[in-house]
Amino acid sequence: MGLDLQQIQAFLDNEFAVQLIATAIKFAVVFAICIQVPPIMIWVERRAPALMQRRKGPNRVGFFKLRLWGLLQSAADAVKLILKEEIVPRGANKIFFQIAPIFGVIPALLIACAIPYGNDFQLFGYNIPLSIVNVDVGFLFILAVSSLGIYGITIAGWASNNKYSLLGSLRASAQMISYEIPLGMSLIPIVLIYGTLDLNQIVIGQSNLWNWGIITSPISFMIFFVCMFAETNRAPFDLAESEAELVAGFHTEYGSAKFALIFLTEYVVMFILSCLASTVFFGGWQIPFVPHDTLMQLIGGLHIPVLPYLLDLVGWGAPFLSLSLQEMGVHSLIASLIGVAVLFIKAGFFMWMYVWVRWTLPRFRYDQLMSLGWKFMLPVGLANIFVTAIIVAILNFK
Amino acid sequence: MNPYLPVLIVLVFAIIFGCIMSGLSHFIGPRKRTLSPVKDEPYECGVPMVGERDKMSVKFYLTAILFILFDIETIFLYLWATTFRELGWFGIVEVTIFLVILVAGYVYVVKRGALEWD
Amino acid sequence: MTQLHLFYVFAALVTFCSVMVVGSRNPVTSAVFLVFDLFLLAGIYAMMEAHFVAAIQVLVYAGAIVVLFVFVIMLLNLEQESHGKVRVSIPDIVMMGITGLSFVIIAFLVARVPSMATVGEMTPEAIAAAGGNTYVVGMVLFTKYLWPFELASILILLAMVASIVIAKKDKAAKPGRRRTVNANQ
Repeated sequence: MGLDLQQIQAFLDNEFAVQLIATAIKFAVVFAICIQVPPIMIWVERRAPALMQRRKGPNRVGFFKLRLWGLLQSAADAVKLILKEEIVPRGANKIFFQIAPIFGVIPALLIACAIPYGNDFQLFGYNIPLSIVNVDVGFLFILAVSSLGIYGITIAGWASNNKYSLLGSLRASAQMISYEIPLGMSLIPIVLIYGTLDLNQIVIGQSNLWNWGIITSPISFMIFFVCMFAETNRAPFDLAESEAELVAGFHTEYGSAKFALIFLTEYVVMFILSCLASTVFFGGWQIPFVPHDTLMQLIGGLHIPVLPYLLDLVGWGAPFLSLSLQEMGVHSLIASLIGVAVLFIKAGFFMWMYVWVRWTLPRFRYDQLMSLGWKFMLPVGLANIFVTAIIVAILNFK
Repeated sequence: MNPYLPVLIVLVFAIIFGCIMSGLSHFIGPRKRTLSPVKDEPYECGVPMVGERDKMSVKFYLTAILFILFDIETIFLYLWATTFRELGWFGIVEVTIFLVILVAGYVYVVKRGALEWD
Repeated sequence: MTQLHLFYVFAALVTFCSVMVVGSRNPVTSAVFLVFDLFLLAGIYAMMEAHFVAAIQVLVYAGAIVVLFVFVIMLLNLEQESHGKVRVSIPDIVMMGITGLSFVIIAFLVARVPSMATVGEMTPEAIAAAGGNTYVVGMVLFTKYLWPFELASILILLAMVASIVIAKKDKAAKPGRRRTVNANQ
């Protein structure tokens, strides 16, 4: 064999190298998922209303007879967008017009890295977290970085030299900053209840169904849920791109791959907010009624020697053939990966909610939108913090 | 490993990815420019452009300023929330005083109609 | 690459962005460089293990610069960049000279005088052991700096009132400007 076991061992002893490789793998997977979300969501967003309105929706694009319910329509659209000619409108600020979509995608990818997609797992004797970025300030990182997303929109609208774009971007930025306050406030009761800013610790605190954030702090969830829609400029709060008034809002002048990038950013942010909602209010990677330790024990006891069998084909895996998953030391990895699947199911529910609400509710008027944010959500959010604090204090400080 | 190393890696990657995506059409898309006087014009529903760009409402400005103020308030509340268990009732009293002053400001803002979009 | 090298990179970028903030003609370019500037400063704070300050830097200034943006957009049109040549008068040159000289003197002094800073009790390890940066900052703020904290609320209150007094005209002052919005309901 070409591989030297001692070399592998020496490599595994170097914690920095292992963590760096782990980070690279985690980021590659998260990035791959993030760029898969928009095509699938666009497909859902065409097929779901078609179902609701009793029509067919896109169902033609496919290979030969293989149509896959029109799933390839999104791929076709992506290719079409990339192959389009690049047009910069006359009088636009060329540099800012080009970099505005890039400004948007950076915060989206950064916050995607701060979500704990699963529990920390142990491999080769190291504790490897399943979120890529683990900073001291916990989810304040997400709030801080996501507030940078406004720049992409504002600059895009300003640089296009189009009144619809400008108005759309101003509306969008005013709306996003207005709803950022209730969004931040809705998460404070969660910190009060679970006593930490670390998202993974918050998930660990939600070990039972009746410990879930939605049970312990339902008002927070309602505020967060509304803010999710407003922050992503989605219906019923899609005033920034209300077709009847502003053509397409801040991205009216964008076409080709830059438009694809703006679209990608939008859906990635939707996906991350869905993940955040499931993490904070729906137990994250926890399976209801199955504590993580029980899951680990269950998996650890299994004998599924697929990998050793494959290794045995090249003459490697013989000593591992009779071991259980726990004895091979991969049971916590597998349990964490099951947690990832659970989180994605929960997040998928919220993504479906985005589509469902869009085709159910009519659009708000702009003054209604702003007064809902400032005059209703803000005072309710404050009162919610206060009441939660009193209740937690009464329950905990004797 | 420094917790900010992944941030830096992701940041660099995001910038590269954004540049590639943004420049993709420039290199792959059709290069031959079809010259037409109206093609580059800002979109205006197909009719010639009407009017100058308007000055924007002062409301946006006011909203942005109020956002900063309430944002700072939220951050103070986050600090309190993380130390809530140790500070106990003392912390609640402190924050109550803090909030009462701010709610007075909020009431003033509402009463002056600064949040009305007409 | 050590921490120190990274610091030099960040410091150089911050300096460059600061110069661009002051030097660029287009106010939006200035604002964008201000964003970069504050983001990079947050990076420096993070390197100094002041995680909370770094996060707040990004969070608050993100909003603050949006204000600047909106202000610029409100007051200027895209084409109306000030194309006038920057005229440099003799007093300007004198001031620039004095500033540059003081910078050199300060840099020299800082380099020569041995650092007075000592390692305090709150090392990064101690902070991590005590429960994280946010927690430690919170504990200090709510016990030792109680009065400044309460006074901060009055400061915010003042800012609220001031912004409304400046930006919000009384409705009586502009009769007839109110348009009906019910046209398309």
